[in-house]
Amino acid sequence: MKKSWPKLILATVIMSLVLTACGSAENSNEQGNAAKGDKVTIQWWDSMTSEATQGALTKIIADYETANPNVKIERTFISFADIKNKLLLSSAGNQMPDIVWLDNPDHQAFAAAGILADITEEVKAWGQADKYFEGPWSSTMYEGKNYGVPIGSNNLALYYNVDMLKAANVAPPKTWDELKEAAKKLTTKDVYGFSMTAVKTEEGTFQFLPLMYQAGSDVTSFDSAGTVEAASLLQYMASNNYMSKEVLNQKQSDTVVQFSTGKTAMMINGTWQIPLLRKEGKVNWDVVQLPVNKQGGTILGGENWAITDASKHKDIAFDIIKFANEPDNLKSFLQAAGRLPSRADYLEDPFWQDDKQLKVFADSMEVAKARAYGPNYPKISDSIQIMLQQVISGSKSPEDAVKEAGAKIQPILAQ
Amino acid sequence: MKAQNVQKGSKTNRGGIRFSDWNNYLFLLPALVFMAIFIIYPIFYNAVLSFKDVNVYNLNGKQNFVGFDNYIKTFKDQVFYIAAKNSVIFTVVSIFFQFVIGFALALLFNSKFPGRNLFRSLMLLAWMLPVVITGTVFQWMMSGDYGVINYFLQSIGLIDQPINWLSEGNTALLGTIIANIWIGIPFNMIILLSGLQTLPEQLYEAAKLDGANRLLQFKHITLPLMRPTILVLLMLGIINTFKVFDLIFIMTAGGPVTSSTVLPIYAYQLSFSMFDFSHGASVSMIMFVLLILVAIVYLKMSNKEEAH
Repeated sequence: MKKSWPKLILATVIMSLVLTACGSAENSNEQGNAAKGDKVTIQWWDSMTSEATQGALTKIIADYETANPNVKIERTFISFADIKNKLLLSSAGNQMPDIVWLDNPDHQAFAAAGILADITEEVKAWGQADKYFEGPWSSTMYEGKNYGVPIGSNNLALYYNVDMLKAANVAPPKTWDELKEAAKKLTTKDVYGFSMTAVKTEEGTFQFLPLMYQAGSDVTSFDSAGTVEAASLLQYMASNNYMSKEVLNQKQSDTVVQFSTGKTAMMINGTWQIPLLRKEGKVNWDVVQLPVNKQGGTILGGENWAITDASKHKDIAFDIIKFANEPDNLKSFLQAAGRLPSRADYLEDPFWQDDKQLKVFADSMEVAKARAYGPNYPKISDSIQIMLQQVISGSKSPEDAVKEAGAKIQPILAQ
Repeated sequence: MKAQNVQKGSKTNRGGIRFSDWNNYLFLLPALVFMAIFIIYPIFYNAVLSFKDVNVYNLNGKQNFVGFDNYIKTFKDQVFYIAAKNSVIFTVVSIFFQFVIGFALALLFNSKFPGRNLFRSLMLLAWMLPVVITGTVFQWMMSGDYGVINYFLQSIGLIDQPINWLSEGNTALLGTIIANIWIGIPFNMIILLSGLQTLPEQLYEAAKLDGANRLLQFKHITLPLMRPTILVLLMLGIINTFKVFDLIFIMTAGGPVTSSTVLPIYAYQLSFSMFDFSHGASVSMIMFVLLILVAIVYLKMSNKEEAH
């Protein structure tokens, strides 16, 4: 028995080697065929769920294939929550798509990881970079090089229930003081005056950062009076019960349900909720820009196109991106998706300019700030989420929580 | 060692054909290859990862070995101890109630009454539901503003203020434990029930003749005979519960702050929210070692059991 063990292990190892060897041989064959064959297959990943957005995308893809019969685009849907992990795992396993959609705060991290292709030259030749707003464009840049092209943008504004404000004789708040006052007056036994999201994911950070910007603070100067002021605003809302503590567990998609069923009178939420509220909202609502404190300001969200470094057909992939960026193609998609163009020339379209509610978001594009804080942003974001939850749950005072988070963020920024 | 081998050999060679040990073990080869590829290799890979410095900067670049740096970083992190404590609480409390309630139900379903099969099948539903659904439903039921649990507790007068079960630091972990207990009861019940059904009827009859009441029967017949089943069940339960991730991730994502962060959630956040893969791997390895220790204790105990 003693003697047979080494043999056994050896046999096991050999067999597993043989098996894996077979696997990779097959793979390289497939790829070889694809390159040699008359058709080139481009893998495309995105996370668009609704019928309207998928329809718009399918049309763009079909049109491109008609115009370029030698290219086949294989679109794969990957849920928003999974696309990051899937991309990282695929990167380790060398099974990468050619074109991928990324949430813009993650873009720099993926560029730093060497997963994305440097397309600085192609973008220069394309010559349209200056059409884009600075915020979205900055999210595609890493160390002075370009790793993507913005698809569409969104930002946050203040939705309010028209009937409730009228009944309470409150005007839509323009400043933080008015916001506090309005939240107080609008809160009743069944209705919370104010709502937002403070979940322990990027969504929570996304909703908190604009308050920091308005209070004159930023991530780069986190441990400052402005941040404390922003945190204190939320502590005021939560401790007085003007805002439900359930916001700690409430995603932006949950908050909109609370709002559209009349459980909350005001909420901070994004551009993409407009199609949903128009279709299914049960209340009379409107939207204004976020209230101003020391300054106005909102945050920029949105997705970018990127080409992976592993792609064998980067030229074709960039050609597809250019095609999808042509005015008619991109606008029809953005309209279906409830997103704003990331470039000023497209935003001039009457679709966004003549719609009173969409215009609120369109006008904010100039001041919308992107989360371009380098590849370590996910760690920074985690510290902010913890701070946010400490303050709202009341387990730490705004001063202590901000100080603690600042101590964690400072060394990360210095890296 | 030698003597044992001979004994075993003679047992398996009852058919008269003599295989050498080597040939016998050859039959294991397919299973071993499977294990090597799908179990041993990933664990090995994870172990290697935990001694490197893989993060988002060098995912596809040069990765250095850093010795025990990741483990030191983990042991210096306060959140690790909170997560470890939460994991232990989550596991112990879950298993205790799953087991006790499961045993009670198993005893109930072991007696004959009309509709018994129907109810037994219905009970299994809880276990068959995907955790995504269970987690979401419990999240709704435990909501502070519109949850049915608060409504119920308030209408029978147990509480006057609604409890924000999942957004309050001192109830969030409890909320996830309650959901996990609900999920685990049917599994415990079925395993214990199948164990109960193998117990010989005669023993109970004899005990009855000797005048033993139900409680004595349970204590002196059921429990001792069920020992092997109980051991297996608790062992599986500890391993399964210690690794619970999906349920907590759906219900609280480990929050508020870190109040329901258990070790799997902590490892996931390190690896996939903060992209610090090696740091996350070191936490997984610590969990792995802890569970191996549990398994060793179990093996020791079941060996003793067999020896009896």
